[in-house]
Amino acid sequence: MPLRILVVEDEMTIALMIEDMLIQLGHEVVELAMRLPRAEELARQAAFDLALLDVNLDGRKSFPVADVLSARGIPFVFATGYGASGLENGYSHCPVVTKPFMMEDLKTVIDSLPLPRA
Amino acid sequence: MAADTPQNQTSQFPNGGGHTGELIRSFDWSKTPLGPISNWPESLKTVTNMLLQSPVPIVLLWGEDGIMIYNDAYSGFAGSRHPQLLGSKVREGWAEIADFNDNVMRVGLSGRTLAYENQELTLIRHGKPAPVWMNLDYSPVMDESGKPAGVIAIVVETTKQVLAQRQLRESEERFRALTSATSDIIYQFSADWKEMRALDGRGLLSDTERPTINWQETYLLPEDRPAVLAKVEEAIRTKSVFQLEHRVRQADGGLGWMLSRAVPIMDEKGEIVEWFGAATDTTERRQYEEHLRLVVHELNHRVKNNLAMTQAIAAQTFRGDIDLKEAQNRFASRMVALGQANDLLTGERWVGASLGGAIEQAIKPHAPDDGRCTVEGDEDVKLSPKTALALTLAMHELATNALKYGAWSNGEGRVDVRWSTGNDAEGKRRLRIEWRESGGPDVRPPARRGFGSVLIERGLAREMGGTVTMEYLPTGLVCTVEAPENLYAER
Repeated sequence: MPLRILVVEDEMTIALMIEDMLIQLGHEVVELAMRLPRAEELARQAAFDLALLDVNLDGRKSFPVADVLSARGIPFVFATGYGASGLENGYSHCPVVTKPFMMEDLKTVIDSLPLPRA
Repeated sequence: MAADTPQNQTSQFPNGGGHTGELIRSFDWSKTPLGPISNWPESLKTVTNMLLQSPVPIVLLWGEDGIMIYNDAYSGFAGSRHPQLLGSKVREGWAEIADFNDNVMRVGLSGRTLAYENQELTLIRHGKPAPVWMNLDYSPVMDESGKPAGVIAIVVETTKQVLAQRQLRESEERFRALTSATSDIIYQFSADWKEMRALDGRGLLSDTERPTINWQETYLLPEDRPAVLAKVEEAIRTKSVFQLEHRVRQADGGLGWMLSRAVPIMDEKGEIVEWFGAATDTTERRQYEEHLRLVVHELNHRVKNNLAMTQAIAAQTFRGDIDLKEAQNRFASRMVALGQANDLLTGERWVGASLGGAIEQAIKPHAPDDGRCTVEGDEDVKLSPKTALALTLAMHELATNALKYGAWSNGEGRVDVRWSTGNDAEGKRRLRIEWRESGGPDVRPPARRGFGSVLIERGLAREMGGTVTMEYLPTGLVCTVEAPENLYAER
């Protein structure tokens, strides 16, 4: 079942690659946010099933976005070059993919999420 | 055996007196103002017998000339001057201090005493002049008529003690100089560390001038005390150096770090008397280390991010129906652009780059000659690192396309890049960047949208938070970026 996905990624080329990967996996990228304020706005208002969150958005951490998503009950995955060690206390249990990653890694972590599936 | 009987004591003069006594007995006194020994007055004989029994160096200076009669102990003091000194006049026997002895004789023969403590005199005793220190006590000796006829001197040399004291004082001065020269904090503790006796805090820690038992409260944090005290106990138990780097409460109330070392001072029995210590402020080094740790962490993240970017560019470059050779060239060229963008950012210490600098660095290397490229704007704009990187990559794509298909692909076309800032209808600051090609071959919109177009139209627009238009005009490609000007500010 195709998922509607919000991508939060501040690196233009990486954002384009993630979009391509998700499309190839059969999902739909509903929005792309490259900076924190836009990401927070979309996290509060947009309709989607899942979010992929870069941790560092041009120098600012994306944890506030994660808080909004938790409150709305929308699952999310962190994507970061810091790896799991880069996650602050309170988020260390969250699913994470470490950059650089393969399309299969993305598939595996998405499949592991508690999502409504066909 | 007969010599020890009382009868012989009277018959023999002087009685005993060791080696010097023997010399006195055999000396020809008739050539001195004292005359033959058998004619000496009773007072002179009595004093001579008395001084010869003494283990303390004593010399008798008899008569106006101060004829010298002394004991074994004094002969040791006289060094190589003995035995010539015996029976000589004191002003001649000790010629180098004749003035000093002249005063002694005058005062003594007038019936008064003289006393000197640690008196320094320069004497020739072993061939060359050397300073000596002495405790000197002079008293007059009366003859049978009750008048002063001589001066008796008790001479105790104190040279060794004086030099030792001087050495001790110099050593203490050196120690004091060292403790004031060092920037280290100096402290003293009682043997059991219960009491801090003193601490010179160098303005960094509050001073302790009087012994205190509250030093833990003053200098340590409650949570650090067990670790510090454990080290202290170990040092006391093993009677060895205490060393620990620990946090301290500073005089200004702030928190710092100290590398502290203390050595035990022991008594003769090997028991600890007290501890003497020095501590170096390592707060700044600690801060550097923490900073370095963060930098390494951040660097690691950036390396991973750059690898992800490389992966993304490779994925885009090698997709679809492509000519492999050409794709490899494009990939290599994109890697160069990425590398240059990194230079730009590190040149600005990763805090931001200038718009003009980013554009120039991305496109100037591709221009066939400088005359066919201008980059200008009314005022420079600061870019965030991410925006500078995206803009560099986009400009690189425009430049390589111009070289392959556009204005730089013939002998005369040119590219002019201009940026301007201004207010939009709502009064908000806007930034406009225009890429304008002219003089190139006939313009045809590309049949296939490559990575360059995708990057510019989809990527850059979202990166800049504005719009990007690509117009294939008959005169050449015009690419226009419209974005809020506060690129560097938070968006």
